[in-house]
Amino acid sequence: MIVELSVALGIGAGLFGVGLYGALSQTNLVMIIMGVELILAAALVNLVAFWRYLHPDAMSGQMFFLIVMTVMAVEMTVGFGIAIARFRSRGSVEMEEARELKG
Amino acid sequence: MTPLALTLLAPLLAALLIFASRRMPEALALVGVALGLIGAVGQLIGVAGGGASSVILTFLPDMPIRLIATPLTAILSLVVATVSGFVVLYAVGYMRHDPQKIRFFGTLLLFVTAMQGLVLSGDWITLLGAWELIGFASYLLIGFWHDRAGVAGAATRAFLYTRSADLGLYIGAFVLIGASGTSEISTTLATTGTPALIAGLLLLVAAMGKSAQVPLQDWLQRAMAGPTPVSALLHSATLVAAGAILLIRTAPMLPGGALVAIGIVGGVTAVITGLIALAEKDLKRLLAASTSSQYGLMLVAVGAGAPIAALLHLIAHAAIKSSLFLGAGVFQHDRDGTDLDALSGAGRARPGIFAGFALSALALAGIPPLAGFFSKDAVIAAALASPAAAWLVPLALAATVLTGAYMGRALHVLWAGNNVARPKPVPFMAAGLGVLVVLAAVLALGFGPLEHLLDAELVEAGLLAPALGLTAALSGLALGWLVKPRRLMGPVFGWAQRGFAVFGGMETFVARPALAIATACEHLERWLYDWVLGFGRINLSLGWLARKIDITGIDGFIFGLVRQTINAGSRLRKLQSGFIHREMALAVIGMAVIVAILLAAPLYS
Repeated sequence: MIVELSVALGIGAGLFGVGLYGALSQTNLVMIIMGVELILAAALVNLVAFWRYLHPDAMSGQMFFLIVMTVMAVEMTVGFGIAIARFRSRGSVEMEEARELKG
Repeated sequence: MTPLALTLLAPLLAALLIFASRRMPEALALVGVALGLIGAVGQLIGVAGGGASSVILTFLPDMPIRLIATPLTAILSLVVATVSGFVVLYAVGYMRHDPQKIRFFGTLLLFVTAMQGLVLSGDWITLLGAWELIGFASYLLIGFWHDRAGVAGAATRAFLYTRSADLGLYIGAFVLIGASGTSEISTTLATTGTPALIAGLLLLVAAMGKSAQVPLQDWLQRAMAGPTPVSALLHSATLVAAGAILLIRTAPMLPGGALVAIGIVGGVTAVITGLIALAEKDLKRLLAASTSSQYGLMLVAVGAGAPIAALLHLIAHAAIKSSLFLGAGVFQHDRDGTDLDALSGAGRARPGIFAGFALSALALAGIPPLAGFFSKDAVIAAALASPAAAWLVPLALAATVLTGAYMGRALHVLWAGNNVARPKPVPFMAAGLGVLVVLAAVLALGFGPLEHLLDAELVEAGLLAPALGLTAALSGLALGWLVKPRRLMGPVFGWAQRGFAVFGGMETFVARPALAIATACEHLERWLYDWVLGFGRINLSLGWLARKIDITGIDGFIFGLVRQTINAGSRLRKLQSGFIHREMALAVIGMAVIVAILLAAPLYS
């Protein structure tokens, strides 16, 4: 059982690594958002794994998961909205060029 | 009642109309005084028909305003109305070219109203009110040409002199009201004993102020600064007469002591102001001093216990002196001044006016059959019959000699000298003058009926009084015509010219102490002012301190806080790169640090 938990956590860690790499290496906003989604997905895998293997009776874990997933969906919507707006106004979503927020 | 109201209200309404409509002042003034004159005549006819008429208006509780027309007040009112009527007629010509004649005629009529109010008043409150109005109106009239040098000072002087003497009237009137419990004059005249003596002496003080008796005579000569019709009116029947009228009206009450005081004051005034008149260098001022002198004679008559003689002399003098002033005004117009040197020969240039002037002058000196002869005889006869004859007769005779002397001198100056071109005729002035001169000449015919009307017999004159009076008058005239006053008066001349200023006169006795008090008050006030100012300064500096603390302390703290926050914000802003990968890398590094700390937990816990 501990082995299975470790496997699950390993998958989560792998997903996290892939996501982090994606978020840091990509210059396209859409790709960065996808990287961030992967990081969140890794966190969710960890959450589910802990719930499944340590406290399978507590329903709050599932509730928590659902809420986080909803937040993920909303966050995706906002992120892509920003990407579309930027594309419409500047014709590109390359983040190397987006330095307007410099203080 | 109707004539009484007409006498009083016609001039008042005319004055108000003049001030309100601001046009046709001459016509309105003439209509006003004419109606007043008709009212006064009607009043006298009513009184002669029998019984006094009176008007009573509600005023203070138990002290209504009373206006009464007894024989005495009706006669006085007629005198005032007559003189004011012809003076206004004359003033129409005199003031023809003055731009301020609306103010002039309005104030003049106001003055006439006040005088009628004084003459007709039946209670002390009304009399006081009218007395005040006279003082105020005379101040306005004397100061009419207030932009000329010295005129405002003369007006103020006249006002203050009479005003300080008025205190006597106030206290006297209230003593009488207090002693008899009513303000009705005829009732208060029943007062006897000490209150009557005190009140009598106080009223004498008031009369001395208004009638310009020694030592309060100085203001009258300076009041000549006003226009000539004003002088004529002030001197003959109104302002100056107010004092004598007051004493004549209260004469039944006056006890022996007060009478002697009145007689002595009057006699001394008659002589001293006669000397001043003789030494005077200015025609109008000469006439002014002569007015004081003649009112002194009236006071002698009152003091001798013969107020009727005083009344006769007042009436005669009213006509005579107004015509003298009107004549002087004509000469003044011709020569642009009233200095006797400048007027030399002015009479010869205008024989008609000079004849009128001379007739009045002779009447004043007391030459029969002119009015002045009879009235002056009545005064001398009264002085002979009085218990204080030893005092009064020499004074009255000396005053008569002096009257003759200064009138003779004036006539001599006006007649002598070079003839000059005939000046333009002055119809209005001549008309006013002519009527008054005729009155001055023939007024004596009215004295008999007047005595009958007043139901008072004069002292039987006999032969002594007319003989003495005529001798004195003739010798005076001869001296005045023939001898220069400097030789006639010898060492007294210079003294008289300075107005007999004993030790500085009124200036030393009244003005200096008053000034000293004023200075002391000023010091006190300055001290108080400094004190208040110091208090204010302390408060101001406290306020200044609070403001300083507010600005530098509290505001400085708050603004400093704001500034520091802004500074910190702008510094922190530099950390922002705006480069999303860098921010993300920083977040990862931060996470790595946290992970490292967490992983290292077994090492330090």
